[in-house]
Amino acid sequence: MKDFAVITKDMKISKMLALYPHTLNVLLKASPHFKKLENKILRKALAGRVTVTQAASIAGVDLYSLLFELNNSINNSTEPIKIMSDEMYSEKIVKQKPDIIEKSSVDKIHHLDVRPVIDSGKDPFQNIMAAVKELTTDEILLIINSFEPIPLYAVLAKKGFEHWTEKENDVFRIYFYKDKEAVQDENSEQQKTLSKETDYEKVIEVDVRELVPPEPMIKILETLSQVDDNTLLLVHHHREPMMLYPKLEERGYEAVSNKIEENYFKVVITKKRNV
Amino acid sequence: MVQSESIVSAYAPPFKIVSKYFIAAMVSFVVLNFLLLLNSSSIHGHHFQPKILSINHIATLGWITMIIFGAMFQLVPVVLETKLFSEILAEIQFWIYLLGVIGLAYCFWVFETGIIMTLSAIILNLAMFIFSFNIALTMKSVKKWNLTAGYLAAAIFYLIVTAIVGLLLAINLWTPYIKVSHLQYLNLHAHIAFIGWVSMVIMGVSYKLIPMFTLSHGYSLTYAKLAFWMINIGLFGIATTMLFEETTFLYYTFTLLVVLGIIFFLLQIYIIFKKRIRKKFYIGIKFSSVAYLMLGLTTALGTFIAFVNYESIFNLTLVYGYMIIFGYISMLIVGQMYKIVPFLVWYHKYSGKVGLAPVPVLKDMFNEKFAHVEFYLMFSAVLGSLYSLAFRSDIGLLISFSLMFISSIIFIFNMIAIFRK
Repeated sequence: MKDFAVITKDMKISKMLALYPHTLNVLLKASPHFKKLENKILRKALAGRVTVTQAASIAGVDLYSLLFELNNSINNSTEPIKIMSDEMYSEKIVKQKPDIIEKSSVDKIHHLDVRPVIDSGKDPFQNIMAAVKELTTDEILLIINSFEPIPLYAVLAKKGFEHWTEKENDVFRIYFYKDKEAVQDENSEQQKTLSKETDYEKVIEVDVRELVPPEPMIKILETLSQVDDNTLLLVHHHREPMMLYPKLEERGYEAVSNKIEENYFKVVITKKRNV
Repeated sequence: MVQSESIVSAYAPPFKIVSKYFIAAMVSFVVLNFLLLLNSSSIHGHHFQPKILSINHIATLGWITMIIFGAMFQLVPVVLETKLFSEILAEIQFWIYLLGVIGLAYCFWVFETGIIMTLSAIILNLAMFIFSFNIALTMKSVKKWNLTAGYLAAAIFYLIVTAIVGLLLAINLWTPYIKVSHLQYLNLHAHIAFIGWVSMVIMGVSYKLIPMFTLSHGYSLTYAKLAFWMINIGLFGIATTMLFEETTFLYYTFTLLVVLGIIFFLLQIYIIFKKRIRKKFYIGIKFSSVAYLMLGLTTALGTFIAFVNYESIFNLTLVYGYMIIFGYISMLIVGQMYKIVPFLVWYHKYSGKVGLAPVPVLKDMFNEKFAHVEFYLMFSAVLGSLYSLAFRSDIGLLISFSLMFISSIIFIFNMIAIFRK
């Protein structure tokens, strides 16, 4: 069998871009969402924890056509197509509710509705991690949320959790569970890639949702002096701050806005690094 | 591959261009109030007379539409979340448009209905086409198509219709060719202008700016969506039925649809207001509240006029027109200017210094006391004028127009103070 390179759906975006830099073009072509990846710091911050599957889901593009394009860009061989159709098959099986959840007794499933926390303007991350800590191996954590917390999948996968998500109307129910066999499969290689990413040491959070223009801008610009290369400024905003962007640009900062829900945007501001 | 810097900085409002439009509009406002005061004795009787037509066009073109152009150029990044297609086109448009407004106002004043009036109308059409072209290409890059963008797109369409119908009317005054009544087309021209163009812009922008400044969210936009379709279908219907004779029933149906649409808009504004977090009334909201109230009253009066043979009550059309231009639109514009202009100047001069040097806050940009005085003057002037027009009181009209003139002076004084801050 001829040796050829393959990008799998579980490959980390950061690894893929490091191995095959030109695949960035494929991503950019696939969705404007990937524009953030052009920026090297954000690529580190965002792509480090995200697999091709998650990236496709975040950007809302079809996973298999994206994989096809990516593999085509690194090989001219037709082989990868076959591999992907195998994956497509296995993906279908996973779509069914896993037995482990179906068979689990009700008292083994811990419910955690994070919507009130989000509504009150806080980040439920700490609550989720606390709940995870208390789980025993055969217990399941059910998170109820108004949007799909895709980055969380990777964080909990690191701790050996599998996930299964169902969507009812606008409510996402995400089950996190441990599959004993799968736990062993988690290879150490993945762990290494993660630890190599330079994480921001300090996060400053600012909430400007109670302020009317131009007060949000004033508050953000005043906080900028505390933001150095290792600091990340996370702003909770009620809209996308279009007029702030040029001001950040002037001062050598850049921003990425993420719409969480109507009237709630998370804006991540970082200092530009000279490339 | 590197994000272009020019793209990002283009989100900043084009200060020079916007200020040009605003200052021209504010000067028009003072001029038109001065002309009203000078000619207060001839403001009665039928509305179709040179002085009234001239002042009316200074109001609609020089004041209202000029402000809307400027405000649109400033608000594009905020309401459409994209950048303006071309600042150069906006600059070219300004000079062409200014020439057209002066030309048309002059022609009406001396009632020179020949080639010069038609030429002025052509020049105005050209400017409006440039504007529409600029905004249409801006809209092409809108990523998230929202309700406000829909309203603005419709408004642009009606602007063009208004301009073309206006041109046809100008040609008709030169060489008559319209078979149906000239006044009927005038009626169409005026209503497409006020409801289709001006109100569509006001509504679309209101849905965006009022929540932004009162911090209101968590409401549904159902009424706003319904209003959009009702007003559009209604206006379309009215315009079409005008082409035929004996369409009274359809005309009334479509009129009621538009009226219902306006009521739904007001209902939506009320809902947004109810859900606001900021309870404090700043001066802009004070003006706007009166304006929305006036819109309701005007709509009621307009409905009455549509169903009654008003030709026998001549002054009713003047009352109606005055209510629209001063009570509703001018009140709203003045109120919004107290928010928009300080922000424009602040952003241009101080936003770059925040965190690096002490900067004034928005409310230090102008003397709010003067603004309140202006509000009460303007409000009494509106009420006084309406009373005097309805009951034909010459002395009342003289006093009311004087008050309005003084309030417009305070307004421009306040605005210049902000620009020089």
